[in-house]
Amino acid sequence: MAQIEKVKFVWRIVELVVGGIFIYAGAIKALDPIRFASDIDNYKMLPWMIAAGLAFYLPWLEIFSGLALILRRFYLGGLSILTALVCVFTAATIAAKVRGLDITCGCFGHASQNWSFSGHLALDLTLLAALLALYFKVGSGNRLRIAV
Amino acid sequence: MRQAFILAALALLPGMGEAIYFHDKVSWQSPIPASEMVTLTQARAWDKNTIWVDARPDAEFEREHIPGAVLLNEDRWNELLPRFLTMWSPEKRVVVYCSSQSCNASREVARRLRDEAQLKNVFVLQGDWEEWLKSRK
Repeated sequence: MAQIEKVKFVWRIVELVVGGIFIYAGAIKALDPIRFASDIDNYKMLPWMIAAGLAFYLPWLEIFSGLALILRRFYLGGLSILTALVCVFTAATIAAKVRGLDITCGCFGHASQNWSFSGHLALDLTLLAALLALYFKVGSGNRLRIAV
Repeated sequence: MRQAFILAALALLPGMGEAIYFHDKVSWQSPIPASEMVTLTQARAWDKNTIWVDARPDAEFEREHIPGAVLLNEDRWNELLPRFLTMWSPEKRVVVYCSSQSCNASREVARRLRDEAQLKNVFVLQGDWEEWLKSRK
């Protein structure tokens, strides 16, 4: 029983950390959307108008999805959105590197300005692993309930 | 899936609110508002009142730059800014350029000069260094 409680506690910590990271990242970008628009534009993948629109929208999507993980409301929705976002960020970072663009990811505003490509990638992959692990937890929980 | 749609819709509300709040600070047509851009012809017409700022990396600046241009890039911002400020005076217009239209450094350096150094009359050169090269041909 104590073992199950320990495992639950660890999963809760993972949820809080991952949710917290996205809330922090979203809040920093929501405070300076113009800077974030410029960061999106650096990837040279989208027309400026769309980059500017996304700069106002994406930070709030991250905040709401992060909150969903922490508050466990719309949990699966938040998990799906964050997983999709991390996949897109990772693909965009790799594509920018392949195209030789010297980009600021803008993931954490000024804090991430001097991060290297490998730093970006390591963070993205760690977050992706944590999100997939949370999916696994939800899936295994459901299977257990069905079995019982 | 339904949950994801609800979250996506909820996020639209503050996003739209913020877009309305910032409507006068962002241009939807170009990353740089027209009032902050200058053409090469205009900048040349200002003549001695222009300070050219080269926002490219050191190596590119050393290879070639606009005559009289000052190096001020983000790599060595803290080191280069004081040197630039000794040349600046309120009546001067600052024109920043980087490698090409698609580069971002000129926009960033211009923004930092406005926001951090509190300078006015800071412009980005339309077409950047490529435009300068074209004009010499």
